[in-house]
Amino acid sequence: MEEKMPDHLFVGKSIPRTIEADKVTGKAVYIDDLKRPGMLYGKILYSKHAHAKIKKIDTSKAEKLEGVRAVLTGQDIPDVRVGFLKDQTVLKKDVVRQYRDEVAAVAAISPEIAAEAADLIKVEYEKLPAVFDPFEAMKQESQLVHELDARGRPLKSNILPLPWKFEAGDMEQARKDSTYISKDTVSTTWVNQCCMGTSGCIAEFDQNNNLTLYDQTNVIFGHIGRITEYFSQIGLRGKKIRVVNPVVGGSFGTKLDTDIYEFIAIQLALKTRKPVKILFDRKEEFRALPPRQPAVFTIEQGCDKEGRLTFRHCEAILDNGAYTSWGATTPSVMIMPMSSLYRVPNVYFKATCVYTNNIYAQAMRGYGNPQATFAVETSMDTLAEKAGIDPAEFRLINRNRPGDDTPMKLRITSCGLEECITAVKEKLNWDNKKGKQKGRGVGMASLIHVAGGARVTKSDGHGIMVKLDEYGHVDVIESGTDQGQGSPTVISQIVAEALGVRPEDIFLTFGDTALALWDAGTHASRHTFMAGNAAIGACAKAKRQILEMAVEQMPKIIKSGFKRKKRKDPGFVEPDLDFGLIANPEDMDIRDRMIFPKNDPDHPHFKLPLTQILQNGLHVGIGQSKVVVAEEFYDPPTEMLNWEMKGNLSMTYAFGTCGVEVEVDEQTGEIKILNLVSAHDVGKAMNPTLLLGQIYGAAYTGVGYGLTEEIKVQNGRVMNPSFRDYQMLTAMDVVPIEAVIIEPIDEAGPYGAKGVGEPGLVPTAPAIANAVYDAVGVRITDLPITPEKILTALKERK
Amino acid sequence: MIDYDYLRPDNLEEVLGLLKEHGPKATLIAGGTDVMVKIRNTKKAPEVLVSIRGLKDLRYIEKRKDYHIGALTTHRMLEQSELVRTELSALYDGASRVGSVQVRNVATVGGNICNAAPSADTAGPLLVLDAIAFMEGPEGKRSVPITEFFTGTYKTVLKTDEVLTEIKIPGEMEHFGSAYWKHSRRKAMNLPILGIAVSLKLDGEIISDVRIALTVAAPTPVRAYKAEDFLKGKALSDEALNEAGKIAASTECCSLRDSLRGEAWYRAEIIEAYVPRMARLAAERRSK
Amino acid sequence: MKKVSVSFTLNGDSVTAEVPVTWTLLKTLREYFELTGAKEGCGVGECGACTVIMDGEAINSCLCPIPEVEGRSVTTIEGLADEDGTLHPLQEAFLKNNGVQCGFCTSGMIMSSKALLDHNPDPTEDEIRTSIAGNFCRCTGYVQIVESVKMAAKDGK
Repeated sequence: MEEKMPDHLFVGKSIPRTIEADKVTGKAVYIDDLKRPGMLYGKILYSKHAHAKIKKIDTSKAEKLEGVRAVLTGQDIPDVRVGFLKDQTVLKKDVVRQYRDEVAAVAAISPEIAAEAADLIKVEYEKLPAVFDPFEAMKQESQLVHELDARGRPLKSNILPLPWKFEAGDMEQARKDSTYISKDTVSTTWVNQCCMGTSGCIAEFDQNNNLTLYDQTNVIFGHIGRITEYFSQIGLRGKKIRVVNPVVGGSFGTKLDTDIYEFIAIQLALKTRKPVKILFDRKEEFRALPPRQPAVFTIEQGCDKEGRLTFRHCEAILDNGAYTSWGATTPSVMIMPMSSLYRVPNVYFKATCVYTNNIYAQAMRGYGNPQATFAVETSMDTLAEKAGIDPAEFRLINRNRPGDDTPMKLRITSCGLEECITAVKEKLNWDNKKGKQKGRGVGMASLIHVAGGARVTKSDGHGIMVKLDEYGHVDVIESGTDQGQGSPTVISQIVAEALGVRPEDIFLTFGDTALALWDAGTHASRHTFMAGNAAIGACAKAKRQILEMAVEQMPKIIKSGFKRKKRKDPGFVEPDLDFGLIANPEDMDIRDRMIFPKNDPDHPHFKLPLTQILQNGLHVGIGQSKVVVAEEFYDPPTEMLNWEMKGNLSMTYAFGTCGVEVEVDEQTGEIKILNLVSAHDVGKAMNPTLLLGQIYGAAYTGVGYGLTEEIKVQNGRVMNPSFRDYQMLTAMDVVPIEAVIIEPIDEAGPYGAKGVGEPGLVPTAPAIANAVYDAVGVRITDLPITPEKILTALKERK
Repeated sequence: MIDYDYLRPDNLEEVLGLLKEHGPKATLIAGGTDVMVKIRNTKKAPEVLVSIRGLKDLRYIEKRKDYHIGALTTHRMLEQSELVRTELSALYDGASRVGSVQVRNVATVGGNICNAAPSADTAGPLLVLDAIAFMEGPEGKRSVPITEFFTGTYKTVLKTDEVLTEIKIPGEMEHFGSAYWKHSRRKAMNLPILGIAVSLKLDGEIISDVRIALTVAAPTPVRAYKAEDFLKGKALSDEALNEAGKIAASTECCSLRDSLRGEAWYRAEIIEAYVPRMARLAAERRSK
Repeated sequence: MKKVSVSFTLNGDSVTAEVPVTWTLLKTLREYFELTGAKEGCGVGECGACTVIMDGEAINSCLCPIPEVEGRSVTTIEGLADEDGTLHPLQEAFLKNNGVQCGFCTSGMIMSSKALLDHNPDPTEDEIRTSIAGNFCRCTGYVQIVESVKMAAKDGK
């Protein structure tokens, strides 16, 4: 898949984001800025109780308000179940099961009128007992959150029927073989993705009832799949759906499912026959947007005398809230660090998802990996302590190595974990700082993550189409979503490199299903890897077409050029040229917009501009003109997880290590991060500056996850739905971050690159927890690590 | 739907006239960072907003015999004033930590104390700087020491037809060093979990006079009199300061509660830890 | 719905807006003038995405009642580049240093930075961080934003 050039012109260079200049001039159009003619504004009315029967809904006042065009309740739309386990309807009809349940929706000519109308809707509730603790909810005698399943069959418990269980090896024997064993219970809570651009979409039907959805989704085709299914149940079978991304104001996992508000916008658009925009305000974004999945882990690990891991046993309880979204599937990703972070031959992991009347969760950057890694890396430190081995050394002993096959059957190809751990040790001055206590300490944690796609659906493909016009402009029709990570720049570097043009010649279209081929989704840190490989393949084909055109056109162009010269200057002698040099496409190349024979790149006559060939190839004059267009649908040879949750689901894996030095004020519990080192094995850096941006941003979010962020949920209600009370870090909360980039070129990656979008976030919280332990001797096992928790632990120790 | 009249009088006399004319229908608005947020969050607005933002005459920081700060002085002006930073340091600390630069550019110190949140960042500093609040109404001018200004959570002695015009700080505060600690989870964009302000005067190593104020420790910003009484006349020692901190954290000086932002026991810990630290900082600044 | 007529200078041009009195400067910019660079990230002055410069100072336009803008001078992100499209050093720097990722916070971030550099052409890192403390960003971790402002300060000399 690699194009090996003597040296790259664009790949590996820190090319600026000039292609995205609209973002610095206010021209970029986000969903907030997008308007369609006749557009109405939708507003959702949410439940006021965590669990209640809906006795009556009176919409009369709302309907009468001037400017209101539609008011919908669960009675007005078909009772279709949606969601990963089909456990909710779009508007709740008889029962609300969460404080943020969608009960009614309004479309009006302005957002203010829509909001006022929503406030005029009167709902009569009869409160029901609610359950907010997953451990309580698991019990036999607990109040059921759902009485019936998706098919109408009675449910006997709040435990979700999901197969999250993984076993490898012989656990019993492994325990016997262990000299040291440690056991820990850790927990993580809800945190909000905090995209600066809130959720929103515009739904618009054409005259024939085909839908265009302007939407920030990262899974443009996944959306079509789910909406198609929805359509087939609401009388719109066979209708076409087009999903179009505007400029996206951040995703961080929020845009991977088809959310209720999107179905509501569709219903309002259907009812009013007008485009309808729903846009969350920030309060709504904190209250109604599903956040990161919380989890409680009980984890045990063992090792032998030499410190080699013998087993890892873990059980997790996940508070699922009342409905399912991707939070309920995070265990499928948790299995990865559980089974494959470090070499551990015997593994058991079981995750139980439990319905409660709390809020439900979706994906967030890392998708279960940060939670699980917090458990694994806490346990690595406690076990290392039991074994009397330095935690860094312990990790090196058990590190993954290139060529490993893990218990999950992941095939490790390139692996820079050793280099990452070593780099962190060195940068932190580990050997001199570890174990000194007195309020200062160091800690580390590592990660494994998919980095070469992730086969979670049967197809893990990504299709790219490339076409050139006669002016040398290259249109790249991408199937992914640009969520700000820098894809337009990186993909244009790859295309420029592969085709032989310049990045400024490239124009990309992202996120439009009418044009795109297909993509499994911009998630799982897979975009650069998948789109990059697809782009390289498409460019190879396009290049072939161009060069075939070249060998046909070049002799004609050159000879007619000589004829013209001869006409002007009869003394002109036509040079004796070996046209055999340019007779075969395989002998030709393109670089910097010029076409030339490989063996003589500076040939005085045989070097012509690309545009000249394209023009001559199109404007032939006697028929047989050609355009240059090529596509490549790259679907790598990976596997889906089998029924044992095993399979090599990615072409390659990312590794990394985060090391932190902290200072803890023992009087107040306040924590200061003195130094954070984030080392990542990225295969090859496509654009070092953009890569650093991914690492810094992810690491910083990881610091928030570890120290300050939490959604406070009380009796099912979000108590801090604002930036004032939700503690996302500001620019003044300085954390000195140093990124280390390790490049063990990966054979499968485009120009050797691996994915890096999520890894930065994964190990930060446990690294901090481990550093705090080193600093003051208390271990906080419950995120976030607040001063209150540290102070309480310090007092308890005394 | 929200609707209101927005009036922009040119001078104080006009303001008072409008307040009289519209009575309870009218609310004053200065920087707008409290009023506009309240309108947005409650979806309710007063019928008449009387803006005093344009009253340039009420925007000043002057040192004559005493320090005079116009009520419409913005937090940013206080933050950027060398005079405030060096001679009224606690006020600099408080004003510079409010929200963000964008907020501080428009939010006024008058607005901050008239809003009377128990967490107001300028309240603690003004309490330890012996500030006096000057008001003007239809009956004329009057003044009230800041210790009597706050009557309850979001409540002050200011009548609905009155306007706060100036905050005066006695000139002798020049001989005090002062400091304010805003305890919050992050370094910006936060309301404090707790606020501690200290000012003190030294006679050699002896604390000849001291003021301690706590915010988010009671329904209003309060002075910790018992802790002050304990410290007066004592040497600046860890022992004395730690004991003062303990007294300040006790029910003798405040009534700590659990809230969304923090728990009472932790707030007590912070008072105990930071009263001594702020006292030391105030002492350090005094000697400069 | 009471209306108000407000005349002011917008990106160097004299303009008049006739809008409901309850509108904020942010809403007026976005709806009346269709300048959508300033964004609503929270609507209550807690995120900075709506930051514009008024009479030389960075403010949250979502909290500014439109009547207050009478006679003032407002600069938005759309007013930074030259008429021929040449970018302001800040805009260039953000593109070069990856100070912009998803871009939603960018307009506000650049305006806060511009307000700083206009007053203080050679700021320290602390001063830069203080000036953008009221601008939240989830993508960058702020590192490359600070680097962008430093670069723009250097280029401006």
